[in-house]
Amino acid sequence: MDIRFDKREAVYIQVIRYFKEQIAIGELKSGQEIPSRRELAQRLKINPNTVQRAYKEMEEEGLIYTDGNKPSMITKETGRIKEIRESLIDEAIDQFVDRITSLQIPKEQVFDLVQSKLNELGREDEEKHD
Amino acid sequence: MIKLTNIEKRYGRKKILNGVTFEADKGQITCLIGINGAGKTTILQSIMGLTPYQKGEITIDGEKLSPKMLEKITYIPDTMTLLPKMRIKDAFQFMDDFYQNWNGERAKEILEFFKLKEDERISQLSKGNTAKVNLLMGLAMEADYILMDEPFSGIDIFSREQIADVFSSHLVEDRGVIITTHEISDIEHLIDKAVLLADGAVKKEFMTEQVREEEGKSVIDVMREVYQG
Repeated sequence: MDIRFDKREAVYIQVIRYFKEQIAIGELKSGQEIPSRRELAQRLKINPNTVQRAYKEMEEEGLIYTDGNKPSMITKETGRIKEIRESLIDEAIDQFVDRITSLQIPKEQVFDLVQSKLNELGREDEEKHD
Repeated sequence: MIKLTNIEKRYGRKKILNGVTFEADKGQITCLIGINGAGKTTILQSIMGLTPYQKGEITIDGEKLSPKMLEKITYIPDTMTLLPKMRIKDAFQFMDDFYQNWNGERAKEILEFFKLKEDERISQLSKGNTAKVNLLMGLAMEADYILMDEPFSGIDIFSREQIADVFSSHLVEDRGVIITTHEISDIEHLIDKAVLLADGAVKKEFMTEQVREEEGKSVIDVMREVYQG
């Protein structure tokens, strides 16, 4: 578990985003235990109150849940996990579209560029597997 | 909560503290930031009743300073005060003999946390390890508040990292910490509140997560504004 923190963004927001990403790519699985507030603070070298804030927010958003005094766990609601994944994809596309429109590139060219970039990545992956 | 209201202190004609006001909550890490001479050490010593001040008020959990209230606080100065010929374990025994609120179990635990051995002689410790033992002596006291004067000063990066790890650990759990430093980068993500000092006065007091979230600024951005305005 490693986050490169942006010093100008609230740390708790970065922690939540990290959890969402890990959930979206299946690195954190539904029902899986997550580290305690203290463990995570030690691991990431951040303030335990900040972790507390992130966990509270994630609990409210239904990302994690806590049963009594047991360790918190990733939600078991598959619908929620699907939503997290979709919202992350949405965010990424928004950011991409935002930047690319500010460069005023014709749509067709954008499609071509994305297509060839993805092909390139695909080839690299194949080579890795060889 | 430790609360300072309008503290003024003079040495002769020289004003050392010029109306210092800030609060440090329990369960939070409050960081006093300022260059040497800004008044950081004097503030800690004023809280401990080690130096007189002429005006203002200091309260701890709503009560004025008294010997009984001072038992709630432990002060860790920036230099080691123990006899250098002692082994660490002798120093532990010494503390156990003289201080009721010394927690020997905790002391051993912190020793392990810092990967130090109790047979080592204090005079033979490296600078970084001396700083760690110094910190340990304070952390092992049962107290609600811990004041640390420049725990990162003049030591190597790995010792600084190990000391920074204390702040996210259970070793300070639920206690109130006031730490002074002139170098923030080691602990930027570990502190709750920053109090920026200059010329014996508070220039700005802010919650670090709040300025990141609401203003998109790092602690150093705010420092730049305040000090270089």
